[in-house]
Amino acid sequence: MRPLRLLITIAIVISLSFGFEAQAQDSSVSSEYLIKAGFIYNFANLVQWPSNTFAQPNSPIVIGILGEDPFGTILDRVLEGKKVNGRVFLVKRLKSALDLKECHIVFVSSSEMAHLAEAIHLVKGMPILTIGEIPGFAKRGGIINLVLEDNKVHFEVNVEAAKEADLNISSRLLALARIVQEPAADGRKTE
Amino acid sequence: MSLQDLSIRRKLILITMLTSSVALLLSSASFLIYDLISFRQLLTQDLTTQAEIIGYNSAAAMAFKDEPAATATLSALKVKGDIVAAVLYSPDGKMFARYFRNDETLPTFLPARSQEKGYRFEGRYLEVWHDVTLNGEHLGTLFLQSDMRQWSTRAKRYATICLVFVLISGFLAYLVSSKLQKVISGPIVHLEDTMRMVSANKNYEVRAVKSYADEIGSLIDGFNTMLSDIQHRDTALRGANDELQTRTRELEEEISQRKQAQEELLKAKYVAEEASRAKSTFLANMSHELRTPLNAIIGYSEMLEEEAQDSGTDTNVQDLQKIKSAGKHLLALINDVLDLSKIEAGKMSLHLETFDVAGMIEEIVTTLQPAINKNSNALRVHLADQVGMMRADITKVRQILFNLLSNACKFTDHGNISVDVDQSTEEGLDWVRFRVTDTGIGISTKQQKNLFQEFAQADTSIARKYGGTGLGLAITHRFVQLMKGRIGVESQPGEGSAFTVHIPAQVTLEAVGSLPAEGNSDASDVIADMQADRDTILVIDDDAAVRELMSRFLMKLGFNVLTVPNGEEGLRLAKQVRPVLITLDVVMPDCDGWSILSKLKADSELSKVPVIMVTIVDNEAKGFDLGASNYLIKPVDRERLAVLIEKHRISRPRAITASNTAPKSRPPRAQKRGEVEAEASERFSHAENLTSRR
Repeated sequence: MRPLRLLITIAIVISLSFGFEAQAQDSSVSSEYLIKAGFIYNFANLVQWPSNTFAQPNSPIVIGILGEDPFGTILDRVLEGKKVNGRVFLVKRLKSALDLKECHIVFVSSSEMAHLAEAIHLVKGMPILTIGEIPGFAKRGGIINLVLEDNKVHFEVNVEAAKEADLNISSRLLALARIVQEPAADGRKTE
Repeated sequence: MSLQDLSIRRKLILITMLTSSVALLLSSASFLIYDLISFRQLLTQDLTTQAEIIGYNSAAAMAFKDEPAATATLSALKVKGDIVAAVLYSPDGKMFARYFRNDETLPTFLPARSQEKGYRFEGRYLEVWHDVTLNGEHLGTLFLQSDMRQWSTRAKRYATICLVFVLISGFLAYLVSSKLQKVISGPIVHLEDTMRMVSANKNYEVRAVKSYADEIGSLIDGFNTMLSDIQHRDTALRGANDELQTRTRELEEEISQRKQAQEELLKAKYVAEEASRAKSTFLANMSHELRTPLNAIIGYSEMLEEEAQDSGTDTNVQDLQKIKSAGKHLLALINDVLDLSKIEAGKMSLHLETFDVAGMIEEIVTTLQPAINKNSNALRVHLADQVGMMRADITKVRQILFNLLSNACKFTDHGNISVDVDQSTEEGLDWVRFRVTDTGIGISTKQQKNLFQEFAQADTSIARKYGGTGLGLAITHRFVQLMKGRIGVESQPGEGSAFTVHIPAQVTLEAVGSLPAEGNSDASDVIADMQADRDTILVIDDDAAVRELMSRFLMKLGFNVLTVPNGEEGLRLAKQVRPVLITLDVVMPDCDGWSILSKLKADSELSKVPVIMVTIVDNEAKGFDLGASNYLIKPVDRERLAVLIEKHRISRPRAITASNTAPKSRPPRAQKRGEVEAEASERFSHAENLTSRR
């Protein structure tokens, strides 16, 4: 896992310096994030925010990327023109953790592994869907964690965390997810 | 037994049952159809709802491309037994997840079209297409296929129930109708029984009983009325029949009586005819016998008269003249009687020849001149221009005119007598008309009736006053008839009479006319009697009756006929006369016809003459082998013979006839003809004497 991550990083660096030539060289990396971008869109579809979250009916859904952006332009491209309940998407690359509060979805990049607890703590109790790609992200208080297994992308959901964030996750989403719990929490719920 | 021949009872039951069953079947069928249609709609709705649920449940799995999750969702359909297949298609049309009942895998089974929404019935399957969406975004299509097993189960159950009910209701209808039909069939059966009883026993006193006042009731009334009518008629008919039988019996008796009378009459007629014939024969014989001595009397009295004149004994001359005159008168009477008896016996023959009418009239006038002068009468003869030659028996024509003119002279004193002759055409025939008019005593209407009867003078007193036998007009009449002519009279007593005679300008010969004398086989004599312008047919037959019949028939056809009784003579005669045709018998006493036929065909001169075999021997093949033209079996079919002869006449060139008829000369006169001539001249002289006597 780690060499792959390294490889991705290198690839991004290379892609930055050599443009699309590098992208073509490693398509499996971009295809993984293409899938992940699609997943993020799907999550937006199957999660319900509290009614007062948005100022206006057509206020955009703001997605913030915390840490190094692994998507490049992929996420912007996938979400371009897409709407959920009449809302468009707005992708922001966050400079500081304080900007988290303006977002509705936060993608925690693997580069933030060290500051994970801090970030989770910051958004705790706020209606913000946290998505990570760090092993144990959900167990540590994140709501959805994307996992790559057998070259396929799966996801884990921390139902308790979602409840705390006052987010209503559709049962259909839950039916596809692996439900995880924080070790400190007592009891297990799957609703 | 056909449906129409069933009894009324069965028909009624059948009709009731059929009607109720048909009604029941129709109503249950309509209900079944309605129910099945609505049930189908229900099924469709059900399946659509199911598709919505499955689509909703699998939307997320589709969104996350989570195939196992989608497959698991579809697998939930296992509890629905009727679902055969469920398939999820991704938007690009590829199969994403699928479920098959009993794990059937049919790769070609699934339809390619995945974009269309809705449902359809495909064979016995119901198929539903449903869009899978997530928040309005199209994620794919769900396809569900159901085999509608509930539907067919329901249909089967329904049909079974219907059948059971139809059977039960049919049975009930049978029970009810077999009770109710008696209302209609009962009276009809009763009527039928009554009818059978009437026709079997012929008892017209039986009456049918009327049960209801419906149509059958009035039928029974009508039947009863008819029965009583028949009863009345029967009685009347029986009476009439009895009467008729009595009458018939009476009639039969009368008929048998009449028949008997008729037979007696016929017998009497035969007897009378026989007697008459005998009398005629006797008269003919007697006349011949009487003529012989009379010839001697007249002859010798003439001789004596000449001698007496020479010796100058006048008294003797006068006496002898009286003897001679009386003798001639007697001879004339005998000749008349002979003529008449010949006619009566059918032996009078015609000898036709062509002669000049003017010459004949002149001859008669010359002969009768003394008679005309006797009563100081004036004679005027008028001959029309167109009258020239005529063909008839000149002797008889002469005698007719002679009789009429001598009568006119006899009954006219100091008066005028005229003879008018002219020619006319009636009914396609040329007629010569002789009209003899006088201004004499005339004949009353009553007398005119019997004028042409034998032995009937106008008045018995006339015989005393004028003399005569009363046979003259009768013979005249018969002669005219013989030549197919007619005679008429117009007269006023005291003013005179006019006799008119019509005779055909060309008298034709009837069979009776010129038969060759029976048994006369002398060729030259026979030939003498033949007419020059006719073809000749030779008949060779040993049977006299056949010869007679053949010659009569062939003469009618316009031929001269020669008959010979044996073959050798036939051969000789054939060479002599060259007939146009020969008829030949086979079985003859002195020779057989086959050898004669061979000889005829071997002769170079005769081989071309057609020979018709006329025989009782049935051997046509032999006849044709030997060269016969035709073969007729006796008794001969005359029409057939006529056709055959006509055929030969047409096919034969006329050369022979031409050579025969070339000279217009008359055939040599026969001995017989001479005799007749002699008789006629005798008669003329007799008339002369008769008139001069007075």
